[in-house]
Amino acid sequence: MGFEQIFSEVLKTLNLEFILLIGMGTLIGLIVGALPGLTTTMGIALLTGITFKFSGHSAIALLMGLYVGGVSGGSLSAILIGIPGTPANASSTLDGFPLALRGQGAQAIFIARAASVIGTVFGILCLAFFTPLLTNLALKFTSAEFCLLGLFGVLISGTLTGADLPMKGWIAGIFGLTIGMIGMDELTAWHRLTFGSPELIGGVPFIPIMIGFFGIPQVVESLMSEQDVLVAVLDKTRIKIMEILRQWWVALRAGLIGVGIGIIPGVGEDVASWVSYGVAKKASKHPEEYGKGSIEGLVAAETADNSCIGGAIIPLLSLGIPGSPPAAVLLGAFLIHGVRPGPMLSFEFPAFTYQAVSWLLVATLFMFVLSVLIARPMQKILQIKNAILMPIVAVLCAIGSFSLDLRFIDIVLVFFAGLIGIVFKKGKYPPAPLVLGIILGPLVDTNFRRALKASGGDFSIFFTRPVSLALIIATVLLILGQLGVFGAIRDKWRRRKQTEAQTTIS
Amino acid sequence: MKRLRSLDFFMGTGFALIGLYVMFDGYIAYVSPALATVEKSVNPGVTTLFVGGFLALLGVVLALIGMRGAGNPFLKAAEVIPETLRKKSFLKGVLAMACIGVYFFVFWGRIPYILSTFIFLAGMMFLFKGGAWWKIGIVSGTTVAIIWYVFGVLAMIPLP
Repeated sequence: MGFEQIFSEVLKTLNLEFILLIGMGTLIGLIVGALPGLTTTMGIALLTGITFKFSGHSAIALLMGLYVGGVSGGSLSAILIGIPGTPANASSTLDGFPLALRGQGAQAIFIARAASVIGTVFGILCLAFFTPLLTNLALKFTSAEFCLLGLFGVLISGTLTGADLPMKGWIAGIFGLTIGMIGMDELTAWHRLTFGSPELIGGVPFIPIMIGFFGIPQVVESLMSEQDVLVAVLDKTRIKIMEILRQWWVALRAGLIGVGIGIIPGVGEDVASWVSYGVAKKASKHPEEYGKGSIEGLVAAETADNSCIGGAIIPLLSLGIPGSPPAAVLLGAFLIHGVRPGPMLSFEFPAFTYQAVSWLLVATLFMFVLSVLIARPMQKILQIKNAILMPIVAVLCAIGSFSLDLRFIDIVLVFFAGLIGIVFKKGKYPPAPLVLGIILGPLVDTNFRRALKASGGDFSIFFTRPVSLALIIATVLLILGQLGVFGAIRDKWRRRKQTEAQTTIS
Repeated sequence: MKRLRSLDFFMGTGFALIGLYVMFDGYIAYVSPALATVEKSVNPGVTTLFVGGFLALLGVVLALIGMRGAGNPFLKAAEVIPETLRKKSFLKGVLAMACIGVYFFVFWGRIPYILSTFIFLAGMMFLFKGGAWWKIGIVSGTTVAIIWYVFGVLAMIPLP
């Protein structure tokens, strides 16, 4: 498709209807993101159910607006009440809230918002540039590469997000792969792990599982805790625009970190913002200011978590592998609306990547304007008790999952996914690998067997293709690294050197 | 940390058992006469066996890590469970899940949606001390009205 045709396809989806939908999605995202107890992932999952009857592209545009708004919205509560609205904004709390407490709340919100815009635009530009390149590369992949890419994605997501033990991340991912395999096998129509239930023959529906897994534990946890909310008063001091312009280098570095981490499957915005914050602190001339109201710290955190949006959508569109949990739910929404991300997207919907870029840019503009407008009303909304808000969220979880297929089984799945989510939280199992595992389960399974069928049952197909071999080596190194093999080898080598040195001296 | 490792032991054991069941399901598919004409490499049991095996192995390793870290996980559990059951926050969590369970499994489909949702919202807000009864009534009623309009009217979803 030529440039003119792509441009004309993009303009078709920038009419008033789309723009209003994107604006609505961004506003909902800002509110969802700002309210502690609601996450961007939950918001996308809930709204996917509600927008089921919308036309495909309009629903996706709305959800992308929600994604942008959700990631940025969390900084409002991080700054105003010292509680991050989403995990992605946890690092913004460290400097945003102290700034607000010393009367610079309006300045902090402006800086956070400007950093969000810079980060999002940077990520979107990378999305526009790298997605076609990665798609062209992915067109050369066969089943073997896709199988191993999915497996590697699950394992690396587990390694990077397993705060307690990486093994817990792997278990979450493999458990997710198991759940993803439930239902009728695509190649042979055999029923796997259905326990004789006809309702599971079609597989486990992704959206109700996500709603239950993320929503119910949050409802329960919020109701379990009683915390007094201290709300900083928004001042009316003049905004100093130069403050943000002085941080251009911090913003650029944070943008690169955000995109880089976004591309890694399943890792997401919270890791991006913490890594960027840590790097900025180490590189700073005034690290002692971090945690006490450092503008540098706030810029580093907010730019990275927003640039991660574009980064996470790059592998989503080009490979069909989401770069973050919200992108994973977005993938579910794409599939529901007939858009199949991956290398074939460039054939089925050639202009889709650029349409997505335009929707994200519009959402970014709305994000900036709306977040400034809603800052003061949000001060009141953030004082709503969990006892009022969380029952409403529970109702939305039920109706959100029911509205997809109008089946009671989906509500049952929400409940049991919620129980699993609570147990996972208690045991400190990261949720991202599980999400990725459920999404990629069918991809890994089907491509594994297709690869074996193509090679006549010969496993060497996974070792003779260069990309497959590289992925196997990377997977093995990842596992060995986390099991402490390299550390043990290094320690043994050091002991041997010391022994040799002592022998030489004596 | 010992508490967490004790939980790791039990969860690791649970995952190992799940992994074994998954392997069993995969084995059934692998040897099933109904799939005799299917090439073994394409048999749906192949991936299930691998994934189940991997899960079982990781579960066993985690259980061993848990046992090493917790000392005697059974003794630790015997100590932690009664303490947890007495905690106010735990009881609140159980109450929250019970309310959600009643809404999902008792009300849904048996009582008209508007009424069941109002009762659920008002009840839960009251139990968790959401404020004065009249405030709870107004918030619950308004929420139900909005949800009914957005989902039932605009999105045309047939509410139970």
